[in-house]
Amino acid sequence: MLRFIAGRLATMLLTALCLTLVVFFLTNLAPSLERVAKTQIGARVSDAEVESWLNRNGYGGPMLARYGEWLGVMPGWTSAAEDGGLAAGRCLGDTAAEAGAPRYCGVLQGDWGTSTVFRDEVATIIARSLALTGKLMLWVLVVMVPGALVIGVLSGMREGSRTDRGLSTLSILSTATPEYVSGVVFIAVFASSAVGLRWFNGSATSAMEQATFTNFTLPVMTIALYGMGYIARMTRASMAEVMTSQYIRTARLKGVSFRALVLRHALRNALIAPFTVIMLQIPWILNGVVIVETLFNYKGFGWTLVQAASNNDIELLLGVSVVSVIVVLLTQLISDLGYVYLNPRIRIS
Amino acid sequence: MTQTKTPGSSVHPAALMYAEEHRSGKLSRREFLTRSTALGVSSAAAWGLIGLQQPARAQDEPVEGGTLRMQMQTKALKDPRLSDWSQIANFYRGWLDYLVEYQNDGSIRGMLLESWEANEDATEFTLTVRQGVTWNSGDPFTAEDVARNITRWCDSTVEGNSMAGRMGTLVDRETGQAREGAVEVTGDHTVVLHLQDPDVAVVANMTDYPAAIVHSSYETGDPSEDPIGTGPYLPAENQVGVRQVLERNADHTWWGTKVYGGPYLDRIEYIDYGTDPAATLAAAESGEIDATYETTGDFVEIFDSIGWIPSEVVTAATITVRLNQNSAPYDRADVRRAVQMAVDNAVVLELGYNDRGEVAANHHVCPIHPEYADIGPAEHDPAGALALMEEAGEADHTFELISLDDAWQAATCDAVAAQMRDAGLNVERAVLPGSTFWNDWLTYPFSATEWNMRPLGVQVLALAYRSGEAWNETAYANPDFDAALARAMSVADAEARSEIMAEVEQILRDDGVVVQPFWRSLYRHHTEAVHDMEQHPTFEHHHYRWWMS
Amino acid sequence: MDPLTWTGALGTVLNPLLLLCTCAFAIAALAATLLGLRAAPARAGSAAALAGPGGAPGAARLAVRLTFWAIVAVLVAYLVGGLVTPYGTGGILGCLSRRFLPVWIALAASFGLSIAFKRRLGLYGKLFDSTIGMIGFALVMFWVYTALFTGLFGWIVTQDPLTTLSGLKNKVPGTPIPGATGPWSHYLLGGDNLARDVFSRMVAGSWIVVQIAPLATLFAFMVGITLGLPAGFYGGRLDTLLSFLANLILAFPVILLFYLLVTPEMVASGVPAWMAVVLFLFPILFVVVLLNARLYTRPLRRTLWVGAALLGLGWLYLSMISQAGTPIAFLPEDLDLFDVPGGILVVFVSVVFVNAPTVFRIVRGLAMDIKTRDYVAAARTRGEGAWYIMLWEILPNARGPLIVDFCLRIGYTTILLGTLGFFGLGLPPDSPDWGSTINLGRRLLSIYPHAALVPAFALLSLVLGLNLLADGLREESLRD
Repeated sequence: MLRFIAGRLATMLLTALCLTLVVFFLTNLAPSLERVAKTQIGARVSDAEVESWLNRNGYGGPMLARYGEWLGVMPGWTSAAEDGGLAAGRCLGDTAAEAGAPRYCGVLQGDWGTSTVFRDEVATIIARSLALTGKLMLWVLVVMVPGALVIGVLSGMREGSRTDRGLSTLSILSTATPEYVSGVVFIAVFASSAVGLRWFNGSATSAMEQATFTNFTLPVMTIALYGMGYIARMTRASMAEVMTSQYIRTARLKGVSFRALVLRHALRNALIAPFTVIMLQIPWILNGVVIVETLFNYKGFGWTLVQAASNNDIELLLGVSVVSVIVVLLTQLISDLGYVYLNPRIRIS
Repeated sequence: MTQTKTPGSSVHPAALMYAEEHRSGKLSRREFLTRSTALGVSSAAAWGLIGLQQPARAQDEPVEGGTLRMQMQTKALKDPRLSDWSQIANFYRGWLDYLVEYQNDGSIRGMLLESWEANEDATEFTLTVRQGVTWNSGDPFTAEDVARNITRWCDSTVEGNSMAGRMGTLVDRETGQAREGAVEVTGDHTVVLHLQDPDVAVVANMTDYPAAIVHSSYETGDPSEDPIGTGPYLPAENQVGVRQVLERNADHTWWGTKVYGGPYLDRIEYIDYGTDPAATLAAAESGEIDATYETTGDFVEIFDSIGWIPSEVVTAATITVRLNQNSAPYDRADVRRAVQMAVDNAVVLELGYNDRGEVAANHHVCPIHPEYADIGPAEHDPAGALALMEEAGEADHTFELISLDDAWQAATCDAVAAQMRDAGLNVERAVLPGSTFWNDWLTYPFSATEWNMRPLGVQVLALAYRSGEAWNETAYANPDFDAALARAMSVADAEARSEIMAEVEQILRDDGVVVQPFWRSLYRHHTEAVHDMEQHPTFEHHHYRWWMS
Repeated sequence: MDPLTWTGALGTVLNPLLLLCTCAFAIAALAATLLGLRAAPARAGSAAALAGPGGAPGAARLAVRLTFWAIVAVLVAYLVGGLVTPYGTGGILGCLSRRFLPVWIALAASFGLSIAFKRRLGLYGKLFDSTIGMIGFALVMFWVYTALFTGLFGWIVTQDPLTTLSGLKNKVPGTPIPGATGPWSHYLLGGDNLARDVFSRMVAGSWIVVQIAPLATLFAFMVGITLGLPAGFYGGRLDTLLSFLANLILAFPVILLFYLLVTPEMVASGVPAWMAVVLFLFPILFVVVLLNARLYTRPLRRTLWVGAALLGLGWLYLSMISQAGTPIAFLPEDLDLFDVPGGILVVFVSVVFVNAPTVFRIVRGLAMDIKTRDYVAAARTRGEGAWYIMLWEILPNARGPLIVDFCLRIGYTTILLGTLGFFGLGLPPDSPDWGSTINLGRRLLSIYPHAALVPAFALLSLVLGLNLLADGLREESLRD
């Protein structure tokens, strides 16, 4: 078991390493670097100025060496001032050169770098935005999981019944409605003055400080709805399979009431598969989060990702990639472990 | 409201001339106010010259205190003279003051300057610095501070310093710095500017948003890091892209309180909702904001319909669909002319800006500018455009029009593209998100630039179309135009001036520099609780006037 | 010209009828539910949901069914009424129905033929045993035919989707075009923010969606299959390596990947173009190996077939990847068959790139499962080559789940294309594809909802159709 987890963690590290290398490569191509320079010194500058700015700010070296700097296995860059002293450097602060500044300052030293767009530490920004997205995700899961399980169990326990057909169609409909469709329809119906219901807020900016029923319902519902259908269908399939299994048939023949049959005998086994699906859904929810956070102007992880990506904010993007790799692989790991834990028939040797 | 008097009773002779012209109907009231106040006549005196009382602003007694939340893009701060967005300036306006301030009625009033005077041919300006002003660090504000700031502005060797262009008549072309002796401190509170050539716009240029006055300890970079200024507020929070907060500086007595009154608000929060107006609307309907930065296009009606109070100002703000003359085929005047002829500006106004503005005539001088000369509407002739394009041999060229994804700018460009297609030209469109657009926009051969209003028409022309200017993204370089513009910058009587301006406008239009379809009216909406927060023609936020009930 | 109402003159008869039927349906449904609830406890133990209708609950259920069909009949009457009465009588609905006439005919023909020969059509024929499957098929084919007739013959559209007409900005559905007379001189579903015809844009958009989504999915499948089969079949180091790469791509948030690949800077740097070079190689590889594995016993035919495939596909491949204006432009213009517009190529590549790893994982799993079957062992003992077994033994037996996933994935790709539009990436902004139109229309959703809702429902119905189709196929293939 420990070896299994250790192996998985090693894979995770390797994946993160490869992925950041790819991101680093893509964000450090010449046109992208030019974009960084222009956001920093203004849009009306010449190519020579861009060149000199890039050299002065540590973008001049070979790409792999700079990746090493970010990682913390190469000494941070420095650039000389006119008088020969150090003017600036990766490991020096904003101000003048300080004696005793470390030579290495990368991820390994716990320094995630600085965001060029937000002018702040990457670690601070990511921590802040992850906390916000965590709040959103928590509520999404609170709404989505029980909802999906109830729908799935209800339609799976009597396969082919009218309830089943109705609920299945609803689940299919929800998986066919992407967030950018349901989100805009929700805003139009429940938040705009045009329709006049105005039950909820069409903007979740105030939810960043204080989430209330009015300002958080729509974003949560928009994400939950899209994921709900899929989980419900998996639950239904799993439930339907369990309901036709041998031991349920036996229990039914013994005269166990339908309610007891479902609640006591079928449910536990029927929920193993959905558990895996739910964990694997989390990275997908992250995807929906990007759309919803942009739509509802909620400045969490997804919004940060869009800002970083559209401004080619290299170090922030690297940080974002590392976090998303960890999320994806960690949920996979938990789903595998949970599967093993819940299903007594499987053991990892 | 008090209005300080110009020291000395002499009124600039040109102002008297303008008053005469106004009375004889050659000059509109707005024109008169802008031109005479730019020469140092106080607004009250200017109103007096034409025999009117300055209208007292009807208002309730302002209430102290309160927090105002306003939608605005919150951008990373820059050295004021390098600022390229009004939004940047509107945040540091909290603690940095300006020398002069442009008013909604078209006049210019003194802030850190008490008054100013020009000599007869507008080559020498005497600036009188306001007494009793202190920095929030406790240092007194003196003429030295003014001189140092003006010298800073003149440094054209700093990358992206747009003030250098505005102060062109003070700059030594050789060194790129302020000319020796151009800025002279003649007393504790007087500064004299010696101009190389006549320039009526020099004080008007000081109203522009990069002209914030910084302390002697400030070198460059983010001014909020060590916010020493003369203004009444201090930055409390600066999260780029999320929000920026100003808080009343309790330890500092603002000079303006006894001069103009205010400030009233305790706290001003700028919240960023990106560029999508739909997000702002959602925020307004959710009660997350009290005011918008700007309401555009269809959203004006929508905000009206949800019961927000509109504030409209007619301006010379505009969009130019410009052709960069450094890249083929736009290096040929025929091609550019053909593009202009293909476009019906009135249709562009309808589709691009919902008819909320005035049709313009492709020469970037607005009827509300004091020096406007009417040279007739722009020519619209689709058939002629195609013929001209065929003659130039570019009828098969595929033009790619690139614009920002901002709603009305994209709509305007779409409308231009559609008109060109209707004329038989091949047009492709690209709409880019802000981050991508702004990083490359200078290199786009065929694109759109949004221009804010400047009090004088010549100010924009000098910034945007003079050869080699930092903001000239048309790459237009025509010595005739430069010479004519230089003449227009000096004082002259109405007839001579409108003749020169007619010439300037005609050159610009005949060279097909830009398609400039319309003048925008600017709108802002706010809730009923917000008072004295009119939209400003150049998007300036005068925090000290705002109050909430 | 007068503006059109939704139902026109026909509505005066049909609207009250529809209202009546709907009310009756609601009452009947309510009654059935209430009676059902009262009856439920009695049946709860038995779980026999198929108890025969009888007494009051039975009558109520019959009423529900009858009124439901009455509603359907009235709805069909709107459409048929529009077909048989003169232009304008049937209102907007009637006009739309008339405009879609070729689609109705094509749909009727395909359903007639398919049902008539369904026993001879294999899995496809079985689809017509499932109501869900048929509804899904109808929805999908509706859009496919619409797209084909629009794209190939220019039939369904009423106006040019890019032309703006002054005075029709944000106009409601049914507004007549000023100055125009005769049939089809209305903006049937209104004008958008730039005074373009919403209906024509929606219809024209279907052509873009129907071109890109299935083709991109197909490419993703070819890539996934070509890599997934050997990974599952051989296992070992190859499997570990390929799986690691697939997981690497899957660990990327999709939107981040798009931002990295689709921005103009990236296009200028040529990375997507090089990816196209690699990705588009896989279909050729797939077809060549497929033919080679089948025909290698007959060298002459093999050489002929493989040569022909290589030549034909190779030329297509070269024309596809050689783009004027990108770093990869080597083919002389005369030889270049077509130029895919830059934006579309990048979008296409990105979508293939995102989808391929998932397909790879599915195929790999299926291959690992199927390779243990007897018939694979039999083929091995016959001495068949590895690729023959993979492509002609394993793949046909994995087709059920793959076809189902293919349908679902087209839907997912359609959603993905819309997502790209939502973030303003990829296709040109005035492109009528549904994602971009939804994104443009959503800004004014609260006052002029039609411009966003029309493409939204189009997208919804296509994706829903694909999902239902997949569901039907799954059910029927499970019955095998």
